Amino acid sequence: MKRILLACTLLVFGGSVTAESSINVTNAWVREAPPSARMLAAYMTIENSGDEERVLSAVTSPDFGHVMLHKSEVVDGVARMSHVGELAIPAQGRLELAPGSYHLMMPAPKERLTEGDQVTFELVFGDDRLSVQADVRKKP
Amino acid sequence: MKISISGTLNQALRRIIPLLCAAALLAACTPPPEPPQLSRGTLLPSPKPLLDFTLTDHTGAAFTRANLTDGWTFAFFGYTHCPDVCPTTLASLVQLRRQLEGTMPSGELPGTVFISVDPERDTPEQLAEFMPYFHPEFLGVTGDEEQILTVTRQLGILHAKAEDAGADDYLVDHSAAIILFDPDGAFHAVFGVPHDPVAMAGDFLALKHYYEAIQ
Ligand SMILES: [Cu+2]
Repeated sequence: MKRILLACTLLVFGGSVTAESSINVTNAWVREAPPSARMLAAYMTIENSGDEERVLSAVTSPDFGHVMLHKSEVVDGVARMSHVGELAIPAQGRLELAPGSYHLMMPAPKERLTEGDQVTFELVFGDDRLSVQADVRKKP
Repeated sequence: MKISISGTLNQALRRIIPLLCAAALLAACTPPPEPPQLSRGTLLPSPKPLLDFTLTDHTGAAFTRANLTDGWTFAFFGYTHCPDVCPTTLASLVQLRRQLEGTMPSGELPGTVFISVDPERDTPEQLAEFMPYFHPEFLGVTGDEEQILTVTRQLGILHAKAEDAGADDYLVDHSAAIILFDPDGAFHAVFGVPHDPVAMAGDFLALKHYYEAIQ
């Protein structure tokens, strides 16, 4: 029972929590966007303390219709975004989802998200799912 | 009124006058100032005046070449459906403005213009809801495809519709550069990525200083 309670606590207060996996997610946030924005972006740091590479194959969220794994890059001075099938987090390594680089991209919900709101993402690593809480932040 | 110069001051003046003359002579012979060394930007060898164009700003007013001659102007090209690169760049432009506030009277601060490369979805109304969120002084500008190309072609700015993930969901690839126009409305300098607001503010002040020195 204690164990189940703990697991629930971990699930609810996700954010920087590892549910018995080697994955730890910190600094998860969604950029607050102007009222007319149709798309939003989310960022986080994913750390893998294990000895094996972990692969983030999908992200879902009860707060958004769908969540895309995306990458921005500048090639020959041209900024472009593209879908990414999956993201590998190297053993004993980390992956930064950050502005101008890898990010999650979601259609903006009907109800506008503003600074201080919280949303939940479910990160899918094979059979493991990790719940992550992200803050909506106004920042560069 | 009686003006008296004390002996010591008089002596000092006598000593200084030849020095002042020498300095004036030297200034007259000094070669024109060298263009500044920029840390982030690239100065065009000679500023490029623009050919006429007509766009529409987010208040519905016409935006033409004449709007670039009120002072210096930074311009960035993007689209409002872009959630990552465009808001990040606009936030950098806000920081750049904060860096410059206090270094000059507010009336001399450079303008900032966001020019849409997604005319299909970025109407003036859409921009009116988007632009002031970043800064009340920033101006969003749009037009039809041909009007936008008239500007972007002159600046070497590239843009193309990409990935068609559904009717209303396409992405647009676009140049990440920030363009600086001088008060003549000429394409003066360009800033590539990464956009560092502190370095850009330093470069801008150096360019402005140089521009004023050679007028
Ligand atoms: Cu994206």
